[in-house]
Amino acid sequence: MNNGLRNALIALSLGGVLVTSQSALAGILVQCPGDVDGDAQWATPGEIQPLNTKCMHLGAGDGFITMADGLSQYIFSFSDLTGLVTKPANPGDGDDVMMEGMLGASFPAPPIVLEEGDEFYLTLTNVGMSVRPDLFDPHTVHYHGFPQAAPIFDGVPDASISINMGSSLTYYYKVNEPGTFMYHCHVEATEHMQMGMLGNLYVRPAQDGTTYNYGGRSYTRFAYNDGDGSTGYDVDYPIQIGSFDSAFHIASETVQPLPFAMMKDNYPMLNGRGYPDTVNPDPLPAPTQNGGKVSQKESSLITAAPGQRVLLRISNLNVTQFNTLGTMGVPMTVVGIDAKLLRGPGGKNLFYQTNSVTLGGGQALDAIIDIPANAASGTKYFLYSTNLNHLSNDTEQFGGMMTEIRVN
Amino acid sequence: MHMRVIRTAFQVTVLGAAFMILLAVNAGAMIDGISGTTFNLAAKTGHVSTPDGGSYLLWGYANGAGMGMAQYPGPTLIVNQGATVQVKLTNSLTVAGGGAPPNVSIVFPGQRVTVLPSDPGVPGVLTNEAAPGKTVTYQFKADNPGTYTYYSGTDSALQVEMGLFGAIIVRPSTGANYAYNHQDTQFDRENLFLLSEMDPRIHQVVENFGPAGVAGTDYLANYFPVLWFINGRAAPDTMSEPMAPWLPYQPYNCMPMMHPGEKLLMRVIGGGRDLHPFHHHGNHARVIARDGRLLESAPNSGPDLSYEVFTIQSHPGSTIDAIFEWTGKGLGWDIYGTTAAGPEFAHDCMDMDGDDFDDMTHEYCPDHNKPFPVVLPPTQELTLGGFYSGSPYLGLVSSLPPGEGGLNPNGGYVFMWHSHTEKEMVNFDIFPGGMMTMLIIEAPGVMIH
Repeated sequence: MNNGLRNALIALSLGGVLVTSQSALAGILVQCPGDVDGDAQWATPGEIQPLNTKCMHLGAGDGFITMADGLSQYIFSFSDLTGLVTKPANPGDGDDVMMEGMLGASFPAPPIVLEEGDEFYLTLTNVGMSVRPDLFDPHTVHYHGFPQAAPIFDGVPDASISINMGSSLTYYYKVNEPGTFMYHCHVEATEHMQMGMLGNLYVRPAQDGTTYNYGGRSYTRFAYNDGDGSTGYDVDYPIQIGSFDSAFHIASETVQPLPFAMMKDNYPMLNGRGYPDTVNPDPLPAPTQNGGKVSQKESSLITAAPGQRVLLRISNLNVTQFNTLGTMGVPMTVVGIDAKLLRGPGGKNLFYQTNSVTLGGGQALDAIIDIPANAASGTKYFLYSTNLNHLSNDTEQFGGMMTEIRVN
Repeated sequence: MHMRVIRTAFQVTVLGAAFMILLAVNAGAMIDGISGTTFNLAAKTGHVSTPDGGSYLLWGYANGAGMGMAQYPGPTLIVNQGATVQVKLTNSLTVAGGGAPPNVSIVFPGQRVTVLPSDPGVPGVLTNEAAPGKTVTYQFKADNPGTYTYYSGTDSALQVEMGLFGAIIVRPSTGANYAYNHQDTQFDRENLFLLSEMDPRIHQVVENFGPAGVAGTDYLANYFPVLWFINGRAAPDTMSEPMAPWLPYQPYNCMPMMHPGEKLLMRVIGGGRDLHPFHHHGNHARVIARDGRLLESAPNSGPDLSYEVFTIQSHPGSTIDAIFEWTGKGLGWDIYGTTAAGPEFAHDCMDMDGDDFDDMTHEYCPDHNKPFPVVLPPTQELTLGGFYSGSPYLGLVSSLPPGEGGLNPNGGYVFMWHSHTEKEMVNFDIFPGGMMTMLIIEAPGVMIH
């Protein structure tokens, strides 16, 4: 099908959804305290952000990304619709959320960065999957690892509710604990997660902003509320392990039966990129198939100054295998696992030093790297999969799950 | 229209107190299995059923050489600490093709095993074995409490795949509702999560040509599972009742249920050959032991080296004990609803002991009567899950459109517990299935059987 015809069909199908939703139902509805114009922000004069409140508007749909070997890959994922006006003062002045979200999926999904104590309102709008108008899939957001979850906001469709095309569901969570989490869609999880509905999510601790001296240096930013500065750091980077099976994505794009049992990933990635795209600090060029929307904004490059402490917020949302990440040249100190400070119930310190960490899907880990004070500018250390078969972009060798830690 | 079926029950303190006593009596008797000091197991053939309609040849340990049927997994052996345990194994395997059945055996990782001099079997590589039609008797003293596994030590790559594995639980001398001999290991409920996977090609070639047929393939070396199980069942069979008549060779289910504030002991065993990240929705769990040893820095210090996770990393042949709790603490809204939403939501939060929780229901009192924070979309804009009660509140069942819901009659809070290698949540090419089940947190007044 040519693109013109396809887009016309898309517009037709989505238009139908919109008409339905506006005539009888709530349709697109952003819920954000203090926000009047429905953009999930408080940028308009007269809007007041309530204390400890954060909002975000995500679209769930499809799109395209470019793999490190140049392959264009069809994906499902989320798009950041925050800032689009959904409740304009004059009807007709608002932004067209459906058109903005359509084919707007980015990979990884937009990062969610929160602070301990936040009340977080996330509105999820299902913008439909334009390349697959035969699919009427609902979507959800699952905050993976948030403690004391309630099913209504946990995103498991079997256990509660998921949102249909053309409508919005607002998730609420009171963020009581810091740490490195992750998020993903839980609808038809094997399919939607292989297709790319995965993103970074982490929570900064209440201890941030206070000063602790640790190891002869003072810190104001911490991985956890450690009480002694032992998780203090200078710069932090989310690193999400993932991988795609291109055969699965091609089957999805071309409306073929999906190979669940035969699923075998051939594109290992960090933050949605294979090496050497991982060390490109900029967004990757927009693919043509999605109409020119930039869909790969997150880099995986880690930069730090000599003597700095780097916090790696590592999560794994791979759906087929375990992965081991190793560091070449600089050891890691593991200070947290699964969004918990690594201490026993009585406070016993369980930190450990290592050159490698092993995570299955759904596991997270916080590791601190000390850049040597005498490291010369331009020095490179490597963070890479020691499952050496993951150092590839399909048939292209020496790529895949690797990035650099550059001393600036 | 709302049906308040639950909340009124525990307004009546007397009823509630009676209920708590019942709980105490029931605690510890949760995991299905066979208890004692002397066990008669037999290796037999059977068939494993999968929800996609598959049926695969099983070599399983049966309870008893006579009428007992092969089981996937084998019988869970529940023994007391300090007991001298004897396990007699009879080799009742039959194979296709007319060839001789293989020897079989059992290894007991973590136990000091000897062979009974009067029934030594025949020597094998890892342990003594039972020749076809013959027996061998193993003996060990259950010195240490905890969660263990047992499996065939004969041609294990084939025989464990065929189903010859099971779980052992050693109850500590402190009491049946403790995982180990320390008060911090006490639990209210327990569930077994014996994880395994299956490559059907192996079972098909053994069914058609006997074990010798496998020798001509690369199936064991290039193992490629497409079916995944908890306690020998693939979802949704995991949630069916135990001893279901339509699953004669798979008697165990995996249906964790609990009340807010209770402690659920998860006994997680890697029964196959792959690692599995077992993600338990709802809250963190505290890993207190590995391979039947408490994570303690010194004897009697308690699990002071324990740590909390939201995904349990299960390794092949290893066991993990973890304690899971859920109260809904700090959600920022009242999980039982507010009086502003209607008089039927009226309830108290009584915290006499000052721990911030209601003394009976474990409701988190600082969130008491705080309103639900958002407006949910109208039903027409939602896809409703089978476990959706129609309401965000615990213990409340609301009306749903015809044909929707129905799997959660008491309005419990339902959380998926599953392998987060999401590929393992299928039965062949059919999603959902595989290594998955649901935890149901029932409202405090609901009886859990």
